[in-house]
Amino acid sequence: MNNDTWEIGGKTLNSRLLIGSALYPSPANMEEAIKESEAEIVTVALRRQSAGEGGGNNFWNIIKELNIHVLPNTAGCHTSKEAITTAMMAREVFDTNWIKLEVIGDQYNLQPDPFETVKSAEILIKEGFEVFPYTTDDLVVAKRLADVGCKIIMPWGSMIGSGKGLMNPDNLKAIREQFPDLNLIVDAGIGRPSDATEAMELGYDGVLLNSAIALAQDPILMAKAFKNAVEAGHLGYKAGTMQQREFASPSTPTIGTPFWHQFS
Amino acid sequence: MIKVSVNGEIQELEEGLNIRQMIKALNYRTEGFAVAINTTFVSIKSYEKTIIKDGDNIDILAPVQGG
Repeated sequence: MNNDTWEIGGKTLNSRLLIGSALYPSPANMEEAIKESEAEIVTVALRRQSAGEGGGNNFWNIIKELNIHVLPNTAGCHTSKEAITTAMMAREVFDTNWIKLEVIGDQYNLQPDPFETVKSAEILIKEGFEVFPYTTDDLVVAKRLADVGCKIIMPWGSMIGSGKGLMNPDNLKAIREQFPDLNLIVDAGIGRPSDATEAMELGYDGVLLNSAIALAQDPILMAKAFKNAVEAGHLGYKAGTMQQREFASPSTPTIGTPFWHQFS
Repeated sequence: MIKVSVNGEIQELEEGLNIRQMIKALNYRTEGFAVAINTTFVSIKSYEKTIIKDGDNIDILAPVQGG
């Protein structure tokens, strides 16, 4: 059991896995997968309500009953104006100043627009938001986000929903080395539990993922796998991995090796 | 009557309705949503004093699943 807590956005957490709420086979499956993951932050979104829906909102009722922190996103926004308006609306509906800032610059690969993202982050921080910006693994963009006051940076592992894992671990490592005091979360592109472990072994503070769990054959079992993978990677980073060597080195003692004879 | 776009659909409304009255007239949920008019957020505190105008683009958003 990993007892070390960490802080993000003014909250103290145990889990370093941030989980999405989309794409599950059913609301019940989503609920069970989130519980099994032991994640303490769940991402949500805002979309147009249909006229005549009346009644309640089943999805939102399930999320509220989980009693974990909600991280609304600005998914689908392409401009700073859209992202800021969505953030303001999310703050009112979800009663939180946290916002996962996504400003998409390319519809094909859903790559974030670094210019609009930095511009939005600066305005939102001045408006009192705790900004969780989704960005690429570009070190200079990370610097600009830090310059405007972001305490959290969330570089992608690879394209959203691709499941390709960490495309550029060296870039992610460089961001970690440059910003030892910021909260760094790998967001997007994680496919396998080992991808999450790799991100944590790089010293990242957490991993945010959705499709990797929701689109698994068994999302509830995969949620448990990711819980363990994130914890294993974090413990591995804390423990410090051994130095790689260019030669073999036996682990079993050579002194006293049997069947060795001076005259043979 | 005025014509407005609500969540991408053209709607006819009585002239002079505020946001609260529009929500009721169009049978939207009366809680758990947020409103933007012409891509600008309108706080719940301003619903009564904000009068819908002809040609307004209105977005009424509610919580959904997200990644």
